[in-house]
Amino acid sequence: MRCFPVMLLMVLGMAFNADASNDLFAKAQTAYDDGRNAEAIILYENMVSNGVENTEVIYNLANAYFKDGDLPKAVWHYRNAWYDAPRDPDIRANLHFALHAAGAIEPATGLSGRIFSTLSSHEWIVAIIAAYLLLALLLTLSLLLRSMRSPLLKASLIPAVLLLVALAGWRYWGPFGRAPEAVVVTSGTTALYGPVEGSTAHFDVPFAALVQQRGSDPKGWIEIEYDGKTGWVKKSNIALLSP
Amino acid sequence: MTVGNGKLEIRNLKFLFLVMGCFLVAANAFAADVRMSVEPELISLLDRAVLKIEYLDAKGAAIDIPEVDGIRIEYRGPQTKYQFANGQSSSSVTHTYLITPLKTGDYTIGPVMATFNGGRKTLTTQLRVITPQDDPEAQQISQIMFSTIATDRETPYVHEPFNLELKVYIRDGAQIDGQFGIQGGMPESGLDGELKWTVVDRKREERNGIIFTLYTLRTTAKALTAGTFTFRPEVQLKVVIPRQQRRSWGFDDPFFGDFFGRQETRPIALECNRLDVEVLPVPMEGRPASYTGGVGELDFDVSVGPKQVKAGEPVTLKMRIHGQGNLEKIIPPGITDHHDIKLYDARTVPTQTPNEVRFEQVLIPKSDRIKNIPAISFSYFNTKTTDFRTITRGPFPITVESAPQNAAQVIPPGPSTIQQETKVLGRDIAYLKPHPGTWRMKDDETWYRTTPFRILLALPLAALIVLSICVTWRNVLDNNVALARRQKAPKTARRNIQLAKRALHTKDEAAFHQAMWGALTEYFGHRLNLAPGEITLQTVLARIPGETASIEHLFNAIEQRRYGIRLHEGDPKDEMKALLRECSSLLKQCERMKL
Repeated sequence: MRCFPVMLLMVLGMAFNADASNDLFAKAQTAYDDGRNAEAIILYENMVSNGVENTEVIYNLANAYFKDGDLPKAVWHYRNAWYDAPRDPDIRANLHFALHAAGAIEPATGLSGRIFSTLSSHEWIVAIIAAYLLLALLLTLSLLLRSMRSPLLKASLIPAVLLLVALAGWRYWGPFGRAPEAVVVTSGTTALYGPVEGSTAHFDVPFAALVQQRGSDPKGWIEIEYDGKTGWVKKSNIALLSP
Repeated sequence: MTVGNGKLEIRNLKFLFLVMGCFLVAANAFAADVRMSVEPELISLLDRAVLKIEYLDAKGAAIDIPEVDGIRIEYRGPQTKYQFANGQSSSSVTHTYLITPLKTGDYTIGPVMATFNGGRKTLTTQLRVITPQDDPEAQQISQIMFSTIATDRETPYVHEPFNLELKVYIRDGAQIDGQFGIQGGMPESGLDGELKWTVVDRKREERNGIIFTLYTLRTTAKALTAGTFTFRPEVQLKVVIPRQQRRSWGFDDPFFGDFFGRQETRPIALECNRLDVEVLPVPMEGRPASYTGGVGELDFDVSVGPKQVKAGEPVTLKMRIHGQGNLEKIIPPGITDHHDIKLYDARTVPTQTPNEVRFEQVLIPKSDRIKNIPAISFSYFNTKTTDFRTITRGPFPITVESAPQNAAQVIPPGPSTIQQETKVLGRDIAYLKPHPGTWRMKDDETWYRTTPFRILLALPLAALIVLSICVTWRNVLDNNVALARRQKAPKTARRNIQLAKRALHTKDEAAFHQAMWGALTEYFGHRLNLAPGEITLQTVLARIPGETASIEHLFNAIEQRRYGIRLHEGDPKDEMKALLRECSSLLKQCERMKL
């Protein structure tokens, strides 16, 4: 009973936070509808800085940035929202639209990428847990029920395969963490052949293009890949992002 | 060397190895070196050289080479080599730079400080650039090839198209591959779209007594904002150099084209003059109300049809703006609101004709009072006369008959609005997402990352492992009777010993001796995997030779007591206790034995 006041305060605090977030969300939407994009950005950013990380907020923030003409931040937030909800058609469409507006190409994904990006990292983890529990249950039953051992072992192949697929899917998102993506935030960025000032220019990277990090240099250079080409750019020219 | 001094000798040898090891490490450190070289050291103005900084048996980073006036130095990347010969291994890291001469002369590259794990070293090298063999007069690249840029409008207005003309001069005799690239030197923002250069002319031209091949490239630019726009394009092209005119110095040189090719190409960036274009804003003064953003020299036509309709039937107003200007930026002009005419939004109509834009507007006369479609005005800013011009067309006479009672009215053609909506959807982002319902906070721990869940997740695996071990053990015992009975032996012995203790407590001699006999026979029967009929003193003694006396005594004593034979007088309880102790001790001893 001594804990009751503390719990009550926590519940009230949560309710207050939820109310404040609801209020901010509604105000931001009104500002966006009225074309006050800068105000909408501030309100959505306020929610994000208060710890709200719903995909809806990130996506709406990206929309506000796009309407405000800040393409790099729009692309950055669309991609961030995509990590959470890779099947969301609105996020995919708007990311495509923003990249197209920037004159940048979308990162190429192979067949495996297309398959494994159907579920987010979080969803793959849930799939792994489900497959693991089912496999454990079937194997336990096969040990306990001698007469049913053969069919149960055969049935356990299904969760075993599911587990392998889910592990591969989860692993697919790993490279995004190890080699994060980045958005070009400086116009006229040129990728060089080497991480040295005065190195030969290799290719131009469009403003707000989505690139992959391939390496880094302690002197503040990042090796990026864009459109199948790799080159070095200064770290200040890009904004890194990862799931 | 004596045996007694063996330890000393080994110590001496250890010391010797240590000293040798130190010498080897030191020698390795002293072997590390860095050197800088240029290959070749003598080149012509149209040639290029390779600068190499080579770290031998050491690792070192690329060095920022200070700028040298007259040559351009570009870093091309590192290369690592490992060699193993005559039992010796060596490695080298080579950082390669490409040197492009801009004018003739003797150049000193460096000094630069190289830091590596063997120390620091200051490096310097020399390069000489001489005039090309076929053009002894040229001292600089800019004397052989250069470019100029000019415009037909020094002060255009915002949205007014203006031409940029780029002239590329190539001295007679110099060969290029005919491809031009414009790299940088253009305004980063403020221009409408990317500039597309096209080669419009190629001719020979004499300049200061020297013959040049002149390529003319042209593009049209449009500024979106007012201000000064600076153009200094860096034209990149490839010069073709016959291979026999220059020496070759390596099969693995990555910069000089195909080794077996008969000619090579070398990229060169040309110098160009600076062109400042002052873009003026469209003035606010004198701007008419009907101005819809047109800039240039434009004309305006309007047609109306059909000219005879019933009230409620649609009439289409077709507008055409043509001429030189920012046609795609013009907002369609419209007629003013009229209470007897229902107006729909104008839409852009695709057209194949260049320098033309077409609009269509649907309107519906509501009554037969309408005799004319009102005049429509189009205003634009004329960049030649630098003033606003208004072109008015109409009014357009029209016959509107009254609509018959209850007659169905024609619904205005759908495509007008539908097409517009479709267009808008295709050109904009998807709308905002609705309220998510519940808020997910950053501090909220995902359920599968909580410690209780992780522990819970480990339980099925642990249970499965334990169960697997149990089942496997059960299977082993099922298949190995001897092992199963071996496991059973101590349990049966303990059970019988307990029975004996209870009998001792109740002073039931018969039960005591029966339990003791059971303890012995059942234990040895299981332990030695004997059938019930095989459990005899001889069999047990044959299999357990170590405890012969004790086994024999116990077997004989207990068997005699079972049949009531008593050899010694005394308290039977003490004797039973002694037997119990002896039996327990023997069984424990046998349990520890390996048979």
